[in-house]
Amino acid sequence: MATPAIEFHDVGKVYRRRLAGQEVAALSDVSFAVQRGEVCAFLGPNGAGKTTSISILMGFLYADAGNIRVLDYEPGDVRAKAQIGFLPENFAFYKYLNAEKLLRFHYSLGGGQPSEAGPRIRELLHQVKLEGYENLKIGKYSRGMVQRIGLAQALLRDPQLLVLDEPTSGLDPAGRKEVRDLMFSLKAAGKTIFLSSHLLSEVEQICDRVIIIDRGKLVQSGRMEELLGASDRVEIVASDLPADLEPSVIESGGAIERGPYGARIVIATARKRELAEKLWAAGCDVVSIIPQRSSLEDVYMKVVGDNATAATVASAVTTPEVPGLPV
Amino acid sequence: MKIRTLAQSTFGSFFHNWVVLILLIVCVGVVLLMMTPLLGAKAMTSAQNAAQMQTVVLSMVSGIMTFVSAFGSVVAAWAAADALATEMTSGTILAVMARPVKRWEFLVGKFLGVMLLMAAYVLMMYGLSALLAWIGGERIQSTPWVLLVYPMVRYAIWAAVAMALATVLRPMVTMGIVVLLQIGAYLIGRADLEAERVATRYMLHGLYWVLPSTNLLSESRFLEITHASLKQTGWLEHVTTLAYGLDYAVVCLVLAMWSFHYRSLKRD
Repeated sequence: MATPAIEFHDVGKVYRRRLAGQEVAALSDVSFAVQRGEVCAFLGPNGAGKTTSISILMGFLYADAGNIRVLDYEPGDVRAKAQIGFLPENFAFYKYLNAEKLLRFHYSLGGGQPSEAGPRIRELLHQVKLEGYENLKIGKYSRGMVQRIGLAQALLRDPQLLVLDEPTSGLDPAGRKEVRDLMFSLKAAGKTIFLSSHLLSEVEQICDRVIIIDRGKLVQSGRMEELLGASDRVEIVASDLPADLEPSVIESGGAIERGPYGARIVIATARKRELAEKLWAAGCDVVSIIPQRSSLEDVYMKVVGDNATAATVASAVTTPEVPGLPV
Repeated sequence: MKIRTLAQSTFGSFFHNWVVLILLIVCVGVVLLMMTPLLGAKAMTSAQNAAQMQTVVLSMVSGIMTFVSAFGSVVAAWAAADALATEMTSGTILAVMARPVKRWEFLVGKFLGVMLLMAAYVLMMYGLSALLAWIGGERIQSTPWVLLVYPMVRYAIWAAVAMALATVLRPMVTMGIVVLLQIGAYLIGRADLEAERVATRYMLHGLYWVLPSTNLLSESRFLEITHASLKQTGWLEHVTTLAYGLDYAVVCLVLAMWSFHYRSLKRD
């Protein structure tokens, strides 16, 4: 069996300010694994330790404890980095370069001959819909265009592992869909994608695995279908539920919620046939019967709960606990 | 190949770096200002005062060259500190270091980019010295390599010192320390080390050995601009002096690599 693409074993990281005598535990005993070919979402509220984890994964920061392997190598090993495409959050670039020169620069750093980069650069600019803008200086790009050129540089050397930190940040809905489609095609091509995002609905559509961290600790990890689970309840929508039928529905363990669309009844899966027949017999129009399933948002809010809201609000109005330290 | 790419990119970035451009403009401005009295003195030269004016003109030429040469040390230090610091503050280092580039390769690429800039500066300085010698009524008669290589080695030292400091300090702090070191090196090179007090003597001797002997590496040691000709110097003296300077620069660069290897890479 192939070794995982990413392995974190009991990883810890403490930020220290020696002069101020301050310490912040950014990560504590974080362990997870991402298998090759998986699309893994890395979730958590602001300040949870996502960027720290990604920085350790990329070899930008050194962990204080634990063991990390990326594509069978230590983080920061050039043999691993040769197979990784990385899109940092708020991709920064040399503003005086145009798209073609920037990609040629990154192509060369990736070990390729700049003279051979032309066809690949044209292909990528077409893929991220920046054709026609290759000669415009990147400093003049819009936020969405910068994100697209960032994606293009991540894909430049056809990497085995993509580490994407907020890849749809700054993109309009059409752009987000394009990135989503791109990720589907990369997934189909067998690439491993490690994705940090706050857009849970998108993550739910794309990802096979979910890792949630909060305050530097791993709070949930597993395959998407395990986390969302197959519920033992179904949701039946009936267009017009007679009032005299309500007591028997409630007696059967159902919950009724009336709305402009009709009545929404949630009931145990084992009793769905019985209830549907009752409704039909009473002359109701059964609009839909859908198995109930938790959404990723439900799971996320359950495990992170109020911390998510508190952390998001806090990060919007205050500085981090130790100013200047990434958390 | 990666180091070359990084060096070329760093060199190119200086033409978009307003601080480096301002430094170069200031240098050109000061040289032009200093040339005004020089050309005036030259114009006032007559048959009666020729010998006296020639001395004045050549001392001005010497002053301009000393300024340009010393200013190069400041440009080298700033360019080195800024080349590293800008990558960190802008966050561009993250995308670059995500490529299969080792940390020492990144640093060497940056250093060589600075040296490309300084090579252009030294060539400009050489052209200026030839022009000034011509204005002074003289001609540089000897081989030009001393005028090219010695300042390059001196600038390599200051660039390496600044780069080592910039791995842990902000560029303005780095520049402050480097300028102090430059002044200290200049003064120590001319000081009488045999002070009366033992503590002072030890301190002066310590500084003499720790600070780079840029006086030793000064091209003016070999060039008497007032005669616009090179002193006769044996190759062994050139080799040992340049080896000393290169060794100093390499040690500082290795220190920078060591420090950079262990530092966190993040947007500052």
